[in-house]
Amino acid sequence: MITAENSSSLSGDFLRVAGVTKTFERMRALSDVSFSVRRGEVLGLIGPNGAGKTTLFECLAGVLPADSGSVCHTEQSIAPGDRSSFLFYLPDGIVPWPAQTVRWALDFTLGFFGGPANLRDDVIQRLDLRPLLNAPIGTLSKGQRKRALLAAGLLTPQPVLLADEPFDGLDLRQTREIAAALRTYSAAGRTLFLSIHQIADAARVCDRFVLLSGGRVRGEGTLSELCAVALSQKSEAPPKGLEEVFLALT
Amino acid sequence: MHSPKPAWLWLVEKEWRELLVSRAWWVLLVVIGPLVGVSFIGAVRTYAEVSGLGGTAAGVGEALSPLVGIWAPTFSGCELAAVFLLPFVCIRLVGGDRQSGALKLESQHGMPAFARIAAKAGVLAGGWFIASAAPVVAMIMWKSYGGTLYAPELATVAVGHLLNAGLTIALAAAAASITEHPSTAAIVTLSVTVGTWIVNFIAAVQGGIWERLASYTPTAMVAEFQHGLLRLDMVLIALALVTGGLALAAIWMRIGVAVRRRVFESLALGALMTVVVATSALVNTSWDLSENRMNSFSERDEQTLSQIRTPLRIEAHLAAEDPRRADLERKALSKLRRVMPQLQVQYISATATGLFEQTSPHYGEIWYELAGKKEMSRITTAEGVLETIYALAGVSPPAEADESIFRGHPLAVPPKGAAIVFYGIWPVVVIAVGILIRRRST
Repeated sequence: MITAENSSSLSGDFLRVAGVTKTFERMRALSDVSFSVRRGEVLGLIGPNGAGKTTLFECLAGVLPADSGSVCHTEQSIAPGDRSSFLFYLPDGIVPWPAQTVRWALDFTLGFFGGPANLRDDVIQRLDLRPLLNAPIGTLSKGQRKRALLAAGLLTPQPVLLADEPFDGLDLRQTREIAAALRTYSAAGRTLFLSIHQIADAARVCDRFVLLSGGRVRGEGTLSELCAVALSQKSEAPPKGLEEVFLALT
Repeated sequence: MHSPKPAWLWLVEKEWRELLVSRAWWVLLVVIGPLVGVSFIGAVRTYAEVSGLGGTAAGVGEALSPLVGIWAPTFSGCELAAVFLLPFVCIRLVGGDRQSGALKLESQHGMPAFARIAAKAGVLAGGWFIASAAPVVAMIMWKSYGGTLYAPELATVAVGHLLNAGLTIALAAAAASITEHPSTAAIVTLSVTVGTWIVNFIAAVQGGIWERLASYTPTAMVAEFQHGLLRLDMVLIALALVTGGLALAAIWMRIGVAVRRRVFESLALGALMTVVVATSALVNTSWDLSENRMNSFSERDEQTLSQIRTPLRIEAHLAAEDPRRADLERKALSKLRRVMPQLQVQYISATATGLFEQTSPHYGEIWYELAGKKEMSRITTAEGVLETIYALAGVSPPAEADESIFRGHPLAVPPKGAAIVFYGIWPVVVIAVGILIRRRST
């Protein structure tokens, strides 16, 4: 298995997550989760339902207290209260400011968080939000809302965006368009960390992957690196594609 | 690129927009008009009758002050709205963010949680200020009838109701922040309110420490302000409780902090608030801003009493529910405390009602002790109490000054047009403005 330790040595890590553990009552949701995030990459957090993806994102963003673990930037540990300088977490399934329009929500995000105003029109165009600008967020369909909130996330100033299930509710065409848009912003320097349970979607957009299952990291790396790990663990034929890698390692 | 508008201003604007689309606030606005109206109309009718309208002997209302006759009942509509409607507006604004997920987004801004809750509280106070237009309309109508307005006493009543609203906002904000669901927050808020009523009830029955505690409940506080009495201890305690409630809300808004730590911080805050409230309760400064000086003795009596430097001790053998005790407290002792801060009062009774103590030889006696001399009286009126104190102190009672007697402002005019304004025009205008604003905002 490629671990955070040896992965970090491959290139400069922007963030290093180490030993994150979270327990709800008697149920351990995350166990000693460690991996690294590189600058400008699209990192996919892959795992089945209940793997602990959302819990991990919330712990990283500091909106849920972790039992233990750290997030480091250039060897300096970042306290949960200070992580908002590095990370912005976009939760799944929320309907914030339901009576306000999409236009207002985007302007509020830019103004409140101090995001890049020059990206506003570009984000609106790439995510096809112009017809929705005057619609209240509460009246949008699931997919429309997902695009609007993703736009809000892209307009935040933090170098790393954590998006929980960014393709949930989108049709195939929209998924492809959004994936292309995300790749564009990643190429422009934004680091994206996406939690995705649809492995095909993840394979389409991500540079590297963190496989999470049962609250533990089962693998971390590029597809080829993960294939090598899967092959080394099983004596069968090399896995074809991310799905088989995922099944082999989890 | 950063926005030229600071983040807190964005937040205030956001809270304001959220308030404008909150149905709970519009319901409060619609309802507060008729609530204030029904109180105002009833008060003006009674005032008019006492002033001679409809055959009552003219002159009966000479001593009637608009503060007690009109404004105390009129503003009671605001008190009802503050207790039963305002909490829901507050819970909608604070708890709504948790429900919608906006809290998770906004909490990722580096802004302190107290600043975020203060923005909500500020906007809610603004919303309450707008709702207070209803009693302002009542004042305009009263003036149009030929009634008199005495600004200092009206300002005192308004301050009392603003503080009461502040307490409600702080309580509801804390409840909405601590609990997971708005309905739980509503139950918690109303339970605390009912709890303060229970304290008032126990105080009326038991007296003692309960009586002291009950004097700081919102109901008692509003009652003091409605009598035109501005007590510094009450203002300080109310402000401390408002700040404490908002601080508690801020502690629990930090969803990324471990629950155990939030519990410890809450306990520390509770300890700090206890010290602040206990210290504030020692402050004895107050201002009687009522036009008829209903909370004070005459100026001449106050001058004479202030010359008595020796501490006065009073021992009253009256039960908590005995009406004579209420008389003694309201008409004499509350006024005496303001002039003689060293006054010590002790009530002695074996029962709460005093009904079965009437045959006891000492029941009903009020003992005064000054510089080693003792005097007993059974009189509970202000005049009787003052007479006994003067006799005990060996000072001559001051001559009564005719010019200082409040002559009242009788007004025998029915509340013409008030029903149309409060039951018709007010709701229609509020609903129309509400529809217009909602259309504009989307």
